[in-house]
Amino acid sequence: MSTFTRAARADINRCLSADAHSTWQVLGAWRRELGLRAVLVYRLGRLLQAWRTRALLWPLLPFGWLLYGLGVLLVRKGYGIHLSLTADIGAGFWVGHFGGVEVVNCRLGERCSVGQQTRVGRHDEPDGPQVGDGVWIGAHARIFGPAKIGTGATIAPGARVSRNVPDHALVAGDPGRVIFRNYDNTRILPR
Amino acid sequence: MWSELRADARLYSALRWPGRSSALRRAFIWVRSRGLLILTVQRLLHRYLVRRQQRGWTVETIALRILFVFAPRFIILLAKSDVAASTVIGSGVYLSDGGHLILGPQSIGRGCVIHARVTIGVRAGEEVLPVVCDEVWIGPDSVIYGNVSLGHGATVLPGSVLSMSVAPRTVVGGNPAIIVRRDFDNRQLRHTLATDIDRESLTAR
Repeated sequence: MSTFTRAARADINRCLSADAHSTWQVLGAWRRELGLRAVLVYRLGRLLQAWRTRALLWPLLPFGWLLYGLGVLLVRKGYGIHLSLTADIGAGFWVGHFGGVEVVNCRLGERCSVGQQTRVGRHDEPDGPQVGDGVWIGAHARIFGPAKIGTGATIAPGARVSRNVPDHALVAGDPGRVIFRNYDNTRILPR
Repeated sequence: MWSELRADARLYSALRWPGRSSALRRAFIWVRSRGLLILTVQRLLHRYLVRRQQRGWTVETIALRILFVFAPRFIILLAKSDVAASTVIGSGVYLSDGGHLILGPQSIGRGCVIHARVTIGVRAGEEVLPVVCDEVWIGPDSVIYGNVSLGHGATVLPGSVLSMSVAPRTVVGGNPAIIVRRDFDNRQLRHTLATDIDRESLTAR
């Protein structure tokens, strides 16, 4: 439970403007940010997976999975954001826009951001990319294969990445090339 | 606004049913085409922004404000598209029925054709919006961002990632985008719903 609340709190915090937040601000973020809904539905799924080992909570599971199923239906069909439970997404994940987002069979660190039409990992590859902390992935980017993306790296919009990326690098193009070795992406990271 | 919408409907029916345009088909096209629906909603919301500035609260702006609450969500569910209400769109524009359009340019000129899964927006961390001039053709899966202007009659090939300005009547393509050909007339392209051109015919003089 504690990992769930910590992760969900971090996700909501990324969508809020100030650090101090009231319930109204959280509800406003829920109404405004469709990506936040997708992330929270994903967190619910991971929570239910963790509850499998705790027999006392088993009576709650059918209701939980029903809620998760309805949420996933809305998020995938309605908003086109597909965050698979096979992906291991760190706390503070931010989905910028809706439509065509697919995160499958991969590991993402904390405070990652993705844009629309982004694909991270493939369905037919069990060992997907390992993405570090604080990585910004632009719109229409694709990350495939067993690539390791370093901490604080930036994937430019439209880039295709299937190789390792060093820390704090900026990658762009098809195939992805390192444009800057030392690019500070804290300016463009939301919050 | 109404004349612009009429021009849109005429363009859509000409593209979807070439040579068989009639008043009845044009009336039904609003039900059958998601792209035209996106465009109609955007024009209404843009009208709200303009009228709100000009005249303040009137019956019209209140009605449009209520539309502002529901319509964008409906468009997202239907077509996964978001076209900024502040964008000035010229008459007779075609937006793809395939959806997944995230468009936030300053303006889109008249006679533009924009295919599915296109993103036009700001560069992250900046605030200058791109400008799309008249009669531009943008292929599917393209991304256009930053302080960029697409000249009159420019062509953006499918799958391009563009962050530089394009001169009039120029073809750009690739990731990152480079100039493929200068002085190309894209009228043929804009008059069909083809999503790609034969690239060899482009480079051959």
